[in-house]
Amino acid sequence: MKFLVLVVNRCLWFLPTVLGLMVITFTISHLIPADPIAAAAGENATAEQIAALRVKFGLDQPIYVQLYRYVLAVAQGDFGISLYTQRPIVFDIATRLPATLELTFVAVLIAATLGIPLGVLSATHRNSPLDHVLRVITVSGLAIAAFWLAILFQLLFAMKLGWTPLQGRVDGWGPDSVTGFFLIDAVLMGDLEILQDVAAHMILPAATLAFPAMATIVRFTRAGVLEAINSNYVMYEEAMGFPRRIIVWKYVLRNALIGTVTQIGLIFGILIANGVVVEAVFDWPGLGLYAVSSILQSDYNGIMAFAIIAGVIFIVVNLLVDITHGLIDPRESR
Amino acid sequence: METLRFVAGRFLQDRVALIGAVLILLLVLAAVFAPWLATHPQDVSEFHPADRLQGPSLAHFLGTDRMGSDVYSRLLYGARITITIAVIAISVSVLIGVPVGLVAGYYRGWFSELLMRVSDIFLAVPQIVLAIAIAQTLGPSIENVILALSATYWPFWARLVYAETRSIQNEVFIEASIALGVSPLRVMITHILPNIMSSIIVRTTIGMGGTILTAAALGFLGLGPPAPSPEWGRTIAESREFLPDAWWYATAPGLAIFLVVMGFNLLGDGLRDILDPKIRRSRTHDR
Amino acid sequence: MTAELLRVRDLAVSFATEGGTAKVLDRVNLTIGRGQIVGLVGESGCGKTTLARSILGVLPRNSAQIGSGSIVFDDADLLKVDPATLERTVRGRQISFIPQDPYGSFNPVFTIGSQIMELMKWKSPELNDRQAARSGWLPRFHGRQRYRADRQRVLEMLAAVQLPNPDAILAKYPHEVSGGQRQRLMIAMALLTEPKLIIADEPTTALDVTIQAQILKLLRQLATGRGVAVLFTTHDLGTAYEICDRITVMYAGQEMEEAPSEGFFNRPSHPYTSRLLRSLPSNDGGLVGIPGEIPSLVNPPIGCRFHPRCEYATEICCSQRPEPHDVGVDHVVRCYHPVTEKPKQAVQ
Repeated sequence: MKFLVLVVNRCLWFLPTVLGLMVITFTISHLIPADPIAAAAGENATAEQIAALRVKFGLDQPIYVQLYRYVLAVAQGDFGISLYTQRPIVFDIATRLPATLELTFVAVLIAATLGIPLGVLSATHRNSPLDHVLRVITVSGLAIAAFWLAILFQLLFAMKLGWTPLQGRVDGWGPDSVTGFFLIDAVLMGDLEILQDVAAHMILPAATLAFPAMATIVRFTRAGVLEAINSNYVMYEEAMGFPRRIIVWKYVLRNALIGTVTQIGLIFGILIANGVVVEAVFDWPGLGLYAVSSILQSDYNGIMAFAIIAGVIFIVVNLLVDITHGLIDPRESR
Repeated sequence: METLRFVAGRFLQDRVALIGAVLILLLVLAAVFAPWLATHPQDVSEFHPADRLQGPSLAHFLGTDRMGSDVYSRLLYGARITITIAVIAISVSVLIGVPVGLVAGYYRGWFSELLMRVSDIFLAVPQIVLAIAIAQTLGPSIENVILALSATYWPFWARLVYAETRSIQNEVFIEASIALGVSPLRVMITHILPNIMSSIIVRTTIGMGGTILTAAALGFLGLGPPAPSPEWGRTIAESREFLPDAWWYATAPGLAIFLVVMGFNLLGDGLRDILDPKIRRSRTHDR
Repeated sequence: MTAELLRVRDLAVSFATEGGTAKVLDRVNLTIGRGQIVGLVGESGCGKTTLARSILGVLPRNSAQIGSGSIVFDDADLLKVDPATLERTVRGRQISFIPQDPYGSFNPVFTIGSQIMELMKWKSPELNDRQAARSGWLPRFHGRQRYRADRQRVLEMLAAVQLPNPDAILAKYPHEVSGGQRQRLMIAMALLTEPKLIIADEPTTALDVTIQAQILKLLRQLATGRGVAVLFTTHDLGTAYEICDRITVMYAGQEMEEAPSEGFFNRPSHPYTSRLLRSLPSNDGGLVGIPGEIPSLVNPPIGCRFHPRCEYATEICCSQRPEPHDVGVDHVVRCYHPVTEKPKQAVQ
């Protein structure tokens, strides 16, 4: 019951939050110091021509009418035309979203499969050399600029050692697009060579993105395990002779992970933020690179669309995190 | 006074916080004494195309950049930009966020609710996303970076102060002051604020690190102060086309960012342990 | 096979603390006969929980240090058995445990059933010793047939501890059942593996006074019925008197007196126990406290640790701890000046 109330409550807040986000982007796009219409009309435009353009773009309307039209358009997926690709922005975003999602997903996978066990080991071997090394790595992961790490990786692994491609998502055409996720598409095609190529392109950007996320996961898992390991139920399980392996990796870890799950929102925020610069460095054709290209082209519509889409994804992830937390923590769900 | 000495004593014992403080001190010294420490102070605006892309040497500790300017000297002046951006942006965020949080936490009603909902919406989006949008719209300059960061970071303090205010509001001494008819403003400033100060200090210290990272990312994306500014993020972006040969060009500013952010994070972690008795206990457990 | 199930001799345990090394146990003796219910009585901080944890072999790894002594259980010195064997074949299987805190001792995020079945997977009496001794690092399967048999045992045991609707309880999470029910579950789990000894560490302190008596009676009845010995720690002499066959009194890390319950209450011989009995509320409502304070365990008094508060103390008490000597049948006291008079009033 409590859980149901929570879910309904969170879902009800979704719309106002997204609406608020649109109001913010609308406000920002009205911050433009120069008159965009005058700029668009050209230097020789007459006052009448400018006025006509104002009417055409609805800028003669009161501000709330403009806001209403803006929200209505965005809600229908109409973000306008990109100055950069000359196509509808929503179309551009749809073609780039899978690349970003694939990269993010692989990064999360790496971060979790390394971060969770390392966090547990760090806690169970507290104050050992391993723990100290991991704590240095954790602190570094949260202090390093992602774009710099990306460049360092490129410098070392692609340029000096030549182990991986420098940038891009694939050499040549890539696999036939079925899902848009190249790793899956390559498997579907059964083409090992392409799969290998796609994976090779994936390693550096995914590792760059994964590093700060892994640092966060290690940190929270370690704290969670330490808290759980000092609890009375661990004392009881030890006194009853449960195998150490079962106590740590089943009973303690489950408790610690419930706490870590609540941090996924935070981790995802880091991933989105770092995704922009990492995609820029690795020329990864996703949303982040699109945002950077829009910046270079001074394409306001593209930037606002990126802000809204990234914001909505982030809000949805946080919504899912709350629901998941309720589902896996029995104390929440009933 | 007693507490101050206690905090100072613990601070000196806490190696982590001490390392953080030293790193920050180095940054401040570099920024303040940049004109004296720099070997080529004129290189912030002067170029020597003949000397471009030279490796580290005695004449140029960290080599030269694409314009033949001394990377080391520009790094020192870059520290000034970093400090300026971070200090002003964080100050503005604190000055907006703390009052908002205090008011929303102290009073109950639709206005408090509205204030917190607005901060929640800002927090619902990764900071850099909105900062990119703002900085892009306003055009690349130091002022606009500061504005973009202030506009996106204040809700952190609003949320924190709100939660802390709500949690200490039921303490006896607060209730007593209210019952005695002390004015709300006075209660907030003389009773609530001092009690939540340590949380604000910790949050601000860690916030400095995050702000510096975001500012550098904006600079890297070309949304920071325009060329020929020695801003660190921009310098890294400029260096990319000269890799792998001019490795010093890209590594030096990145290392500077790393050390500074690390400094603030370590100091923040250390201060948290020193100032917050609840967490301190769990950490002694931890050792 | 001797009549004694457990024999702790000269056990010394110290803890590293911020203030220095605390000598929590000072050459302590304790004997438990087969099927006997022994009360370990003392004020909080006297070392009874440390003694219980030493027998189980679960002292805090990084701070506790066993200085000397032996813990002979079933003719084997547990201090000489390697920890892995102890974990697999002794803990849970031969010695089981009832914790003080039934609220926190269940893992909050697993159902009660899955936790009980986990215990049975590793410690079930259906397993023979060789099966139980297999390393916990190897994957282990709870075979279908054994699972069924184990589950049957669990259901019967839940009925035995008088839990209504056992099937439903197994599907619940710990926070969904009451404290009394949780402690009944703990008793059930302690008995399920058919151990020879149960260590019950203040099993009723966390419970409602009204439930305490029921739980204790149940524990006593089930343990005696199955011939299981119980070491029952408590700070409450009255509770100990109600359910124990034998009582050991501890003070500041030293055991002072060991005696059968009857003998103990009729003729307490150590000045401390005698004062302790007198400090119980008497019939006319008076309460005789013991002057002085419990000593620090970091710098404990030399010799008998009770001497600074003892009215009979002489020079020798301050230099050397008295050896145990008999004052009656099975009645051992460690004092140079045992009290001989009978207390003014006996406990009801």
